[in-house]
Amino acid sequence: MAETIVKLRLNQQQLELMDRTIAQGVAPDRVSLVRLALREYAAARKADPVTETAR
Amino acid sequence: MTSRAIISEFVIQPGTGKAIELLKGQILRIEQIEGGQCADFNCFNLHDYKEFMHCGRTRTVHGFHPSTGTFMWSAPPRERAMLYILEDTVGRNDVLFPRCSAYVYEASYGFSVHTNCHDIQAEAQREYGLTPDDVHDSFNLFMCTGVDQDGHAFMTRQTTKPGDHVDLLALMDVLAVPNVCGADVMKTSNFALKPLKLTVFAAADADLAKVPNVPKLASQRTPKDFRNPAIKSDRPLRRDPAYRAEFPNTPIVITELPISLEPDELAMFNAVKRTDIYGDDDAAALRDLLFSWWEERFLQAHAGAPSIKSK
Repeated sequence: MAETIVKLRLNQQQLELMDRTIAQGVAPDRVSLVRLALREYAAARKADPVTETAR
Repeated sequence: MTSRAIISEFVIQPGTGKAIELLKGQILRIEQIEGGQCADFNCFNLHDYKEFMHCGRTRTVHGFHPSTGTFMWSAPPRERAMLYILEDTVGRNDVLFPRCSAYVYEASYGFSVHTNCHDIQAEAQREYGLTPDDVHDSFNLFMCTGVDQDGHAFMTRQTTKPGDHVDLLALMDVLAVPNVCGADVMKTSNFALKPLKLTVFAAADADLAKVPNVPKLASQRTPKDFRNPAIKSDRPLRRDPAYRAEFPNTPIVITELPISLEPDELAMFNAVKRTDIYGDDDAAALRDLLFSWWEERFLQAHAGAPSIKSK
């Protein structure tokens, strides 16, 4: 199956936060950081499906 | 507790308050004499009254009922820890309710004149040249409050006893202004006005050792950092024709970051994305996911509150 492209729209402050997070060694680049966020976020909700209901 | 030297003692009678110069390293004890009395409290930097305690910042950091081990913070852009709550024998204070005012007693109870915390504070602060407009949101000591299910703050009776007290340690030179809350027709002070005892101590080394370090950051700005450091001295507002806006980090510029999702990633995304908020806007949902994840993984404070952990 083909990949799906999602075009994130981010401002310079949001990109700065991403870049500072990358500089800590969390992920090698912006795209990888988003993918890491997706995997960890989804894994946390799989383990605890009620987490998101309150916020 | 090691012994502390007493510097001064006062009793504030019902309907009154007292402005006290509390220097860095001194402790103000606000103490129940009979029990059951709320004390409203204001606090200013002694050397710059424009820096004052901010209940909003304090409650975002410490919650609605700050007690032992918490700070009273000044308003942005200063945002410094002004006082540290060193000891609190009750543990029930309030930063939800504003001070009671003459308007409250006239509008709700029909009084043309009634003791009220705003006017008591204003009169106590007048000793130091402040005006009624300088009274700020009140930290309400011993006041028992909460939030009901429809979102309204409520107050109820308190259970304080003689000798119950709160000890406030000054982390900078301040003008500390406690007053006996003027509410005798509300539950705040159990429907009676009683005196309170104030004692100023010199902090012992053991007291000072209890204060956690808090961050000192560039964003804690003072008048030397302001584009306009002068205090306005007249009342009308007039446009400055020389004004040129200098908002920080503007203009806000949007950059597109394409993310290609493999089928398994798309399935994960579809399982957790907030369609209830973003509908079919996947880009907005993924942005939400990214920063929600960031908060969960990296934020060291409640969302919207500054971290007070020292680095």
